[in-house]
Amino acid sequence: MNTLIVVSFLLAGAYLVAVLEAWLASGRFRLAAPAWAAMALLGRESIVPRTPDRLFFETAPVLLLVAALLAAAVLPLSPQLVITDLATGALFVNAALAYVLVALLMAGWGVDGAYALVGGWRFLGQVIAYSMLIVMPITAVAMRAESLLTTDIVDSQGAVWNIVYQPLGFVLFFIAALAVSFLPPFDLPTAGGELAGGVEAEYTGARLAVFRLARMVLVVSLAAATTVFYLGGWLGPALPPWVWSAIKILAVSAAMLLTGHYLPRIREAHLLAWSWKLGIPLALLNLFIVGVLVLIWP
Amino acid sequence: MSLDLLLALFIGAALFGVGIYGALSQTNLVMIMMGVELILAGALVNLVAFWRFLHPDSYAGQMFVLIVMTVMALEMAVGFGVAIARFRTKGSVEMEEAQELKG
Amino acid sequence: MITLQTLFIAFFGIASVAFGVSVFRTSSMMRSALALLFSQTALGAMFLAMQAEFLGVLQIMMMATEMSIMAIFMVMFMMDPGGLGEMEMTHQKQLSILAGVAGALVTAGIALFTHWGADGVAAPAAAEQTRALGMELLGRSMLIFETAGVTILTAMIAATAVAMPALQRKKTS
Repeated sequence: MNTLIVVSFLLAGAYLVAVLEAWLASGRFRLAAPAWAAMALLGRESIVPRTPDRLFFETAPVLLLVAALLAAAVLPLSPQLVITDLATGALFVNAALAYVLVALLMAGWGVDGAYALVGGWRFLGQVIAYSMLIVMPITAVAMRAESLLTTDIVDSQGAVWNIVYQPLGFVLFFIAALAVSFLPPFDLPTAGGELAGGVEAEYTGARLAVFRLARMVLVVSLAAATTVFYLGGWLGPALPPWVWSAIKILAVSAAMLLTGHYLPRIREAHLLAWSWKLGIPLALLNLFIVGVLVLIWP
Repeated sequence: MSLDLLLALFIGAALFGVGIYGALSQTNLVMIMMGVELILAGALVNLVAFWRFLHPDSYAGQMFVLIVMTVMALEMAVGFGVAIARFRTKGSVEMEEAQELKG
Repeated sequence: MITLQTLFIAFFGIASVAFGVSVFRTSSMMRSALALLFSQTALGAMFLAMQAEFLGVLQIMMMATEMSIMAIFMVMFMMDPGGLGEMEMTHQKQLSILAGVAGALVTAGIALFTHWGADGVAAPAAAEQTRALGMELLGRSMLIFETAGVTILTAMIAATAVAMPALQRKKTS
């Protein structure tokens, strides 16, 4: 039952994010835009490239969707509303997100096209650089909660939300979330201007629809992760818990989309240099600061 | 002795065998490393099985698994370092062509 | 006695072995690397079936990035990464098969004929396990754990040093 509610919640969230993205792209607010786009995609012919690695080509969009859904499986929307409250929940989020990388590599290799291949390998470098910025801030969050249970992590933020307690971690996690969901300014694997769609380039019709849906679900999952780890999850006055979760997740998704709207796409070399030379030392500093804070002000 | 333990050990043995075959039969350094990874995976299965079915209250077993995982990562890092050096100087990582390393 | 746990262990274990075999049966390097990835992932699922939750999730997480890196190196260093040329990439096949089968049989034989002693009790709950493992890591086994960390650092420096192009030394005289 919980599974059904959470999945439908995610899909609704993905739909709203798609509306928002269409609004940002076209400048017009139309509630039905994603529905029309999806119907158009489903109705269109599915063109298969000439010599695909059929197995990877078919699996990649589905694997992306599964990875995004699994990441959301351990994130609570309210104290009861969580698909599975794993004792290693905070680690499981990382594990699920790692398969986003695998899915994009498959998509890049499977279609046997130069642009897709470049996009796939670019994403490999990008995710390996930024997965550290997912793992280390989450470690700091788990340190404060003294637990890997996601529900415990939300409970630990009763007095002060983590965004106040460890703002550095929040900033790093937010940037890494943008990089993992390949939203602009980190949309190097799909880069519209230079790679003509990159890993998405050869996907058409229903497969592209699954791919787009998976990406939207991924954005919502990452927003939910940010909410749970840094914004106090379901905590909030007056309204019921799940409403607070919904509001926060939508706000974070909107912030993720808006950030990219106002920033230029960055170069691959800069992206890697910033992550390895600046991001990871800052993440370590964050771990240290939180370690001291936990001792003096629990 | 439980059936589960025996089953897990057999699977570990099978992975070990496949790994040995891979490490001996492949000519490419990277493929050989894949064989070694499978051998280590066999060791991992055994360690987890011993922890679970023989001593579930002693965490040294789980600790050992972490060390083996570290070894897997180390093997990859150093192996790829050597592969890059070899590729730079000789233009290939085929082990048939590495006869001059023989003493 | 066959329980649900036995079935799950068997399922994921056999899946892992099957993926492991297919690593060496395909000639596409990408397929080979991803087969190894799914072999390790199935292993992680098998750890979950054996109630080692932390280790299972850790295995699933680590192997995803590790094998993806493996994939890019495969494609970089192979002469025929797509496997379209039907190149022969094996040698001493007879010997290898023999050694593989012998190794598997010997280890299986040891497993079969050793007296493993009594069954352990039920595994502790996952949350308790994670906590106890942390206590073990930072208590009794701390030195070993620290050694692992230092070893990783050494290996990182060594690998980088080996992989860097030889410095062009200026000839002074």
